[in-house]
This record gives sequence, structure tokens and C-alpha cells, in this order.
Amino acid sequence: MAEIYKMHGIKKILYEFKLQFVITIIFLLIWLAFYLLNPPAFSNPFTYTSIMGVVPFTIIPAISLTLVIIAGEIDLSFASVMALGPLVMALTWQAFGEPTPLGILLGLLAGLGAGLLNGILITKLGIPSLIATIGTLFLWRGVVLVVTEGFSIPLGEFRNTLIYSIFVGRVFGIPVQFFWAIVLAIIFWIILNRHKFGAYIYYIGDNRTAARMVGINVDRVLITVYAIHGMVAAFAGILDSLEMATFWPALGDIYMLKSIASVVIGGTPVTGGVGTIYGTFLGGMILGFIEMGVLASGVSGFWIRLVHGVVIIIALAAQGIIRKGELAKIRIMRLLTT
Amino acid sequence: MPEKNIVEMHNIVKKFGAVVALKGVDFYVRENEIVGLVGDNGAGKSTLVKILFGIHASDEGEIIIKGKKYKRLTPKKAYELGIVLIHQERTLCENHPIWRNVFMGRELTNRFGFLKIKEMKELAYKSLAALELTKMPVDTPVKYLSGGYKQGVQISRAFTFEADLVILDEPTVALSLAEVQKVLDYVRELKRKGKSAIFISHNIYHVYPVVDRFVILNRGEVVAEFYKKDLTPEDLSEIMISIARTGKVPKEYEELNLYKKASPQSAS
Repeated sequence: MAEIYKMHGIKKILYEFKLQFVITIIFLLIWLAFYLLNPPAFSNPFTYTSIMGVVPFTIIPAISLTLVIIAGEIDLSFASVMALGPLVMALTWQAFGEPTPLGILLGLLAGLGAGLLNGILITKLGIPSLIATIGTLFLWRGVVLVVTEGFSIPLGEFRNTLIYSIFVGRVFGIPVQFFWAIVLAIIFWIILNRHKFGAYIYYIGDNRTAARMVGINVDRVLITVYAIHGMVAAFAGILDSLEMATFWPALGDIYMLKSIASVVIGGTPVTGGVGTIYGTFLGGMILGFIEMGVLASGVSGFWIRLVHGVVIIIALAAQGIIRKGELAKIRIMRLLTT
Repeated sequence: MPEKNIVEMHNIVKKFGAVVALKGVDFYVRENEIVGLVGDNGAGKSTLVKILFGIHASDEGEIIIKGKKYKRLTPKKAYELGIVLIHQERTLCENHPIWRNVFMGRELTNRFGFLKIKEMKELAYKSLAALELTKMPVDTPVKYLSGGYKQGVQISRAFTFEADLVILDEPTVALSLAEVQKVLDYVRELKRKGKSAIFISHNIYHVYPVVDRFVILNRGEVVAEFYKKDLTPEDLSEIMISIARTGKVPKEYEELNLYKKASPQSAS
């Protein structure tokens, strides 16, 4: 047993990344199951491009949410920030009468501001993140509803512009937003694993007292994480409103639980300290495949939630079993290293 | 006996609301000296070293490190000045590999903040090897290690950063007998490599074998200081009991008490 961390090559990788390995297996099994249920649909490229068109709206906010959860915190308000960002953009575009990049920039800044507010409430005022972000969840949704009076803002007239193609166009039939999701996943993977800032996020989630004692400015790191998350959520909302060519006041609502589910399916425990972007990405893909698969297999759409629920529970159960095995291993290893 | 003071603390006062935790403490550590800081619960031992490491700010007094005066330190500053604090398991991140824990908060990075992983692993290995802690590879998560091994990982920070002063705050609590011996060996290694240390413990039998000098705190005040060579562990035990009961050093030991007889300021 003491030899575990003397393993090399594939064996070691499999051991170290067993959670990710399990998620990958679950993903492949789901894929296989849907393929067997409806081979024509799942051999048709259109099915995949459809999935790629919608999963980014779940995956993108889930990627930055992974950072928040690794730091041992939570955010619910991003669902409303996903509406705040595109609202600011839509209003700017309306005012200018053209799809100016300034609108995107202001939309992202609105998200950044919302994130900063969360960070300050949580660190400087010491409000637990669950409570603080319930507050801002209502606040920003309220702002959106008051400003729009519940009406949508059509964006169809801006459809055939460059800015559209950059964010939600199609390259070889593949929706550009999917590339955005991949690019963001890579950037955030690098931040988490290769940059000092990512290391601090892990340490803060793992042992906050220790992080403070070694001189890490915990408040500043947390505020930055929330600010980034706010901006990324606004970006996801902007992508969604562009894809649908309309801004609607309820935008983002449905992604809150889906994004959180992506993170937890992906093996990032809400207790913080550990977690991977890879897992989150795959978690989002699993949810997307289920949605498309259930629809393609011809049963009623009401089944989607049920299958989501079953898969989330299976994924969590698998993780629970792995972690239990880990605890036994820890006990033995500790004895062996005395 | 080296005579230069690496750290001096003068007239340190710390209040927590109405509670006065430290009532004007003078304290110093010489170069390559291991000081045992002992005293009952609530005597102010931890508070004193937390002020030295910059976790708490003192209300009065000053700190002199390597000849420079400081009113207020931060953990970051203390690190830069070559001070490392070792706590009972508290400054480790259990889910993270040994090498990351060694460098926690002081990562080697390039200009843009990207980690120099290979370099850190090599350096961590070297400083762990100085303590003969090579049983487990440096990418083993700390949660797999025994309590003594974990203390070793923390102490290896002193070698990695070439710290001059290591503060050990109750490093032997909750360790098995064999592991306590290991930690004491690490402290001896610090001494051999020319470093200084402050060793805090309730248990004088843990401190006694490795220290050069004892400083006894009682209710926020230094009441006595002895060279180890002047006392047996039994003498020390008797003194501690007397202080706990009466607040005073027994008369027969007053002769050996360095405190107030030799003012710490004069040592530099």
C-alpha cells in the first residue's frame, strides 16, 4: 500500500485521477446507451452540433463556478448575472442602433461588478456565501425585471453582423460558442494548475487558516474569484441571448442548478480544496447529452429531469464510494509513514 | 555561546478586549539557539509568537529582527525575514502534494506568476532529504502522511527558504512517542545547521532534550529564564509547579534565574 505513490506511468495516472476516470466512464456509458436507443440520431452529426450549441451556456458559468466551489464557497446569483450582462449589452446596442463591442464590454463589466459585490459581502462583511448570493440572486433578477418591465428585447436585427459570428457563429457547422467553452476551460485549467493564483484558490478551500498563516491574502483572492465568476456568467448570458437573438428577462434561471450539477457531477465536492475543470466540463456534457438523448429517443421531455436526477445520484454515489475507500487507505498509509 | 540576537521583542503588550494577554514581555533569541518557551495554558506563549510571526499586532512594544526595528509584522514579512512558523498540522493543505505544501504561500514563479513546478519539486526534495524524509515521493498528498512526517514537511520549509528562525508551536501534541522523537531529531538538525528555534510545549520532557535556554511565561509575563545546563528536568518540573501555584520561582533556584539579572538588551 505504501507503494501507491511510488507507482509510475498509466497506473499512477489512473490512481490519481480516478474520479475523472469514473466520470469519463459514466459519460461514455450514457453516450453508448443513447446510441443504442436511437442509432440514427446519434450517428447524425446534427445531433452533436445541436448539443454543442446549447451546452456552453451550462458549461461556461460552471467553469468559473468550479473556482468558487474549490475555494470552499458557493454562488447562486450567477443565474441572475447571466441576465444582467446581456441586458446591459442589449440596452447599449439599442441606444447605439448597432451591435457595438462597447455593449459587450459594458455587459461584462456589469458581471464583474456583480461579482465584486458578492465578494465584498462575503469577505468584508462575513456573510455566508449561500445567504449573500441568494440576496444578490434576487437583487439582480429584480433589477432586470424592473428595467425591462418583463418584456423581451429582440436582437434579431443584429443577426448578420461580424460580432454575431465571433460569438455564436458556425465554423464548419460547429457552433462557435462551443469553442469559447473549450478555450475558457483551457484558460481556467492553466490558472488552476499552473498559476500561483490557482494554487491559492485550492489552499483557501483546503485550509483557510493555513492559507492566512502563510501570508495569502484570502479576502483578495476570494473577491477576485467572485469577480471573475461574475464576468464569466455575464459572458455566458451574452452568448445565450445572441444565440437566441433575443434578450428575455428570465434568461439564466434554468442554468443555475444545471451548472451547479455539472460541477458536482464532475467530482468537485462542495467542501472545497479539490476539484477539476475537466470534471466540470464533462459534467456539463453529460447533462447536455441526456437532454438531447431523451428527446431523440422519442419519450416525453418530462423524462429529462428524472434522468438528470438519476445520473447525478449515480455520479455522487460513485464519488462517495471512492472517497470512502480513500479514507481507509489514508489510515493505513499514515501508519506506514510513522 | 554565540552572543548576537537574531530576534528581540521589547515590552510587548497585547490586549484582547479587557483581557491583557501579554503584560510587557521582553524576549530574545540568539543566533543558533533553541529556546524553550514554556508555561501553563493561557500564559501567552502562542500569542507572543503569533505577534512575532505577524498574525497578531501588539498594542505596545517593538520587535527587532536582525538589527531592524518593526512595529507591526505580517506573515509575509516574517517569511521574508527568515522566520517560519510550524503549527500542530495547521499550516498544511491535506489534499495537496508535499512539494506544494513546502512552498505554500511562497511559490517559485516566473514574472507572470506561473509556477516553476519542476524546480519546486527538486528543491523540496533536497530540503526533505536534509531531514531524511525521502520515504514518500514529493507528489504524495499530505493526507497520507503520519503526524510526525507532516511536522517534518513543515520543518523542511526552514531549509527550503533558508530561514534563520523556526517557531514550533506545540509541534508534539497528538504525536506518538516514536514520532515525538522524530520531531526532536528535526529540531536537533536545525541546531546543527546553524538555525535558531523557539519551541513551545506544555510538556517540558519534550522540550528539555533539545533546547539551550528556557523562558517561562506565566499569565502574560516572563517570570524566569534558565540555561538548560543549570537544571535537570526534575528541577524544571519543580519550578514550573511552584510558578503555577504561587507565581514565583522557588528561592533555591533564584540564583540561576537569568531574568532581570541579565537584561536581554545588553546581550546584543
